[in-house]
Amino acid sequence: MALKPLRLPLALTPPPLRRLGLADVVVLCLLCGAIATVVAFAREFQAPFLQAVRIDVSPVALPKYTLFSLSRGVIALLISYLFALAFGWTAAKFPVAERLLLPMLDILQSIPVLGFLPGLVLGLMSLFPARNVGLELAAILMIFTAQAWNLAFSFYNSLKSLPEPLRDASRMAGWRSSRTFWRLELPAAAQGLVWNGMLSMAGGWFFLMVNEAFRLGERDYRLPGIGSYMSVALDRGNAQAVGLAIVAMVVMIVSVDQLLWRPLVVWVEKFRLDDTASGVVPGSWVLEFLRRARLPRGAAALQRSAYRTAVRATEPPQRPFRAARPLMVNAPRLAFGNPIARKLGVGVLVAGLAVAAGLGVWHLYLLLRQLGPSDWATLASSAGLTFVRVMGSVALATAWALPAGVVIGRSPRLAQLMQPVIQVVASFPAPMLFPLVIIALERVGLRLGVGAVALMVLSGQWYILFNVISAVAAIPEQLKEAVTVFRLSSLARWRSLYLPAAFPALATGWVTAAGGAWNGSIVAEYMQVGGALRATRGLGSLISEATAHANFALLAGGITIMSVIVVGWNRLVWRPLASWAQTRFQVGQ
Amino acid sequence: MTPGGVLLEARHVTQRFRLPNGQVLEALRDVSLAVREHEVVALVGPSGCGKSTLLRLLAGLARPAEGQLLYRGQPLDGVLGAAAMVFQSFALLPWLTVAENVAMGLETRGVNGAARRDAVARAINLVGLDGFEQAYPKELSGGMKQRVGFARALAVAPEILLMDEPFGALDPLTAENLRSQAVGLWRDPATGVNTMVVVTHSVEEAVFLAGRIVVFGSNPGHVREELVNQLPYPRKERSAQFEEMVDRLHAILTATLLPEPEPAPAAAPQRLPPFARVHVAEVTGLLDHLLTRPDGRGPVFELSEDLGVDYDRMSAVVRGAEQLGWVTTPGEIVQLTPAGREIMAMDDAARKDATRARLSRHPLFARILAMLKEGEGSVEDEEVLADLTIYFPFIPADSLFQTIIEWGRYAELFDHDADAARLTLLTS
Repeated sequence: MALKPLRLPLALTPPPLRRLGLADVVVLCLLCGAIATVVAFAREFQAPFLQAVRIDVSPVALPKYTLFSLSRGVIALLISYLFALAFGWTAAKFPVAERLLLPMLDILQSIPVLGFLPGLVLGLMSLFPARNVGLELAAILMIFTAQAWNLAFSFYNSLKSLPEPLRDASRMAGWRSSRTFWRLELPAAAQGLVWNGMLSMAGGWFFLMVNEAFRLGERDYRLPGIGSYMSVALDRGNAQAVGLAIVAMVVMIVSVDQLLWRPLVVWVEKFRLDDTASGVVPGSWVLEFLRRARLPRGAAALQRSAYRTAVRATEPPQRPFRAARPLMVNAPRLAFGNPIARKLGVGVLVAGLAVAAGLGVWHLYLLLRQLGPSDWATLASSAGLTFVRVMGSVALATAWALPAGVVIGRSPRLAQLMQPVIQVVASFPAPMLFPLVIIALERVGLRLGVGAVALMVLSGQWYILFNVISAVAAIPEQLKEAVTVFRLSSLARWRSLYLPAAFPALATGWVTAAGGAWNGSIVAEYMQVGGALRATRGLGSLISEATAHANFALLAGGITIMSVIVVGWNRLVWRPLASWAQTRFQVGQ
Repeated sequence: MTPGGVLLEARHVTQRFRLPNGQVLEALRDVSLAVREHEVVALVGPSGCGKSTLLRLLAGLARPAEGQLLYRGQPLDGVLGAAAMVFQSFALLPWLTVAENVAMGLETRGVNGAARRDAVARAINLVGLDGFEQAYPKELSGGMKQRVGFARALAVAPEILLMDEPFGALDPLTAENLRSQAVGLWRDPATGVNTMVVVTHSVEEAVFLAGRIVVFGSNPGHVREELVNQLPYPRKERSAQFEEMVDRLHAILTATLLPEPEPAPAAAPQRLPPFARVHVAEVTGLLDHLLTRPDGRGPVFELSEDLGVDYDRMSAVVRGAEQLGWVTTPGEIVQLTPAGREIMAMDDAARKDATRARLSRHPLFARILAMLKEGEGSVEDEEVLADLTIYFPFIPADSLFQTIIEWGRYAELFDHDADAARLTLLTS
């Protein structure tokens, strides 16, 4: 029985290596603009914010908070899906958009968005000073930034890899773009969208927890939710409430998995394009229940007949079948079908982008000009420290996840057993555990300077484990049999088969793990634990501190440096490494 | 049925594609073809001759780089609604049932409600799929799937049925059965189909179906010759006239696929003959097979049948063996040469030596060896690829390069370092 390998978001496989082009420059300039804008927003912040909502730590209140958190995650996911559809469709249909949007997505998914959190919160707070709207918006926006990119990549890839004959068939049928979208493109992408949605949701919890428990210096920006419940419980040293919060989180993750994702995963099997069966098709008791139930089916039939009546009502009277044949089905005309109009449109777009990019760079320059040489020295040394921590955390995560992944991946039985467990554990938002881990580490005498590395391991390890498991599980059975037949020692097996086969996936896992670690550094290096502030030198704490003390030039410098390091390191080290590993160690070509 | 007026026409059509590596391939050059009413036209030729490209142009699925497409004298703008298409890969939507797949083209043509149900039922009935309306494609065999493909095409009552290797993905038994049904559909006035254009890889299929067979040549795709086939329908594959027509088509294809060597190219020294893109094992396999035949000879189509290789691939292998001087091809006969016999009698090492000697004399390999010597024993892939693109603009350079590496390695002329992306000279 073949095990279905764990699937990974398409975004985890490195896109083909491109040279830095004009589009990248434009995108980077626009990014500068975004940094400047967020900082400018934050600057508007004036009045001290009223104390945030009071959090009730009684167990009775917990379900309510859990639901609050859940709805934030779901709303953000819906927005992410809308974004992904619009983005993927535009990028796949218009070559000009493709050239600009793909590098943009590439950069957006690698910059540490948490760096923008303090500025974003302050900025949105100032827009809605009296209420929680700003905070809520900031929370949803942050989750969105964690969820959207791999969904967009997945949809774009599905559109691009749609078999040509299927497109031809729908065009010969005379389908217009809207019908093609609903009946061909969206169904064909359904599998990728669901699997990636599942991963996005897990990524979203990470950001949600940070957001709900967000505090900056003396100021408290907490939102009612499971994250803030946890942080208040910790502040008060209420161990029972801490335990309950963890249980509630696990219950929420498991229920979402069972009630939402499982049924969806089983249902989208229907939209598989290739004929190959996927080994074990997962079952879902919820879907079985729904399929057996009468009520949903009755509702669907009702809806269908209502739709038919509506269609009939709007139709002209029936014509006989033969006469219905049109001579020519015209190609769908876009508003920009006219070549001059199209050129004009593209010109306006490009000019607009150029102006926006120019303004962005200029404003960022104005901000950064205020930084003196000593500021830059601080930035550089903090960046160095955090860089070392990030690499250390990647190394530590590899040290445990690579052997564990190989052991799990090479045994189909073990993988099948562990898969649901790992999925739930990996969905559990690491920041919720940060304070507990810090307290535990302090007991054994480790300060935050080192402890932050442990926290960053928590943020990035799962990507490595997932990638290694799926790569090892995908090793052809015959190769495994070959090493058995030739009686390779277990050391030789690892050296000659498992490690090389896992290496390409490991390299792509590093890209994401390092990204997670950079994000984690912003929370890990500067946090409130039990009412006291713990901070250690580093780029992450520098960003948080700069925001807390309203040092906007330093904030802008910190975000810029972090973005440049992450994007640059991705482009110059991770990506080339991953694509080299791909060509050199790919199993079964 | 006698052909009527011109229905669909391609005038001086040229089509180009950009490959991912940036190379621009000309798929068709200055092709003109007129399809008349009540006619079945078959497009045959080697792979890469642009016959499928022409079919997509005729359907209005693509626009030509140059030239014009006309339907009843009017320029084609967008997809041709009077046509329907059947695909080699079936192109059914897996999430729609058979009935829903068949109905694909009806809704946009304004056929709804009861009329649509009728049209679907009729089309399904025509191809004999009654009872399978609610099945999903993945529950059907290949032949059944292609029946759905036909039903979907027939449901819109098209004037013209375009078929891209419709039986290519089916097993021989199913293919034969569906083939005669296709002729039946065309002859049956109830279907509305009065004209068919079919792209095919099989000589017998072309003779079985078509009233006119258009033979394409490649590099770039162009029309070589047309053959009118006036055998009465339904055609009997075992009849003498059928066999004769097959032989005539074989002869034309051989002239296309295995052209007689051109007179000495002394006048144009910069023209290189491309090396056939075939594997070492394929060529030795052919020689092995020829050894078992009396006199070491056989017609190329018989060889392709005996070895279970399609004629297009077979003739590429023959061209490769001919370039190395191991066979000659008088007409459609492939004849083992004394050199070919000799090499088959050798042991491995001697065979490699002999191959090395032959390859070094081949102008293309000679040129690469010269490049290697110039580069002091090593040259970058990029440089060779750029060279190949210039010399052979109609052949994907990557694939030709792979062939060159394989033969070079086999003959121990040079080696390839994939990590450094370089060719290196082997000095013996």
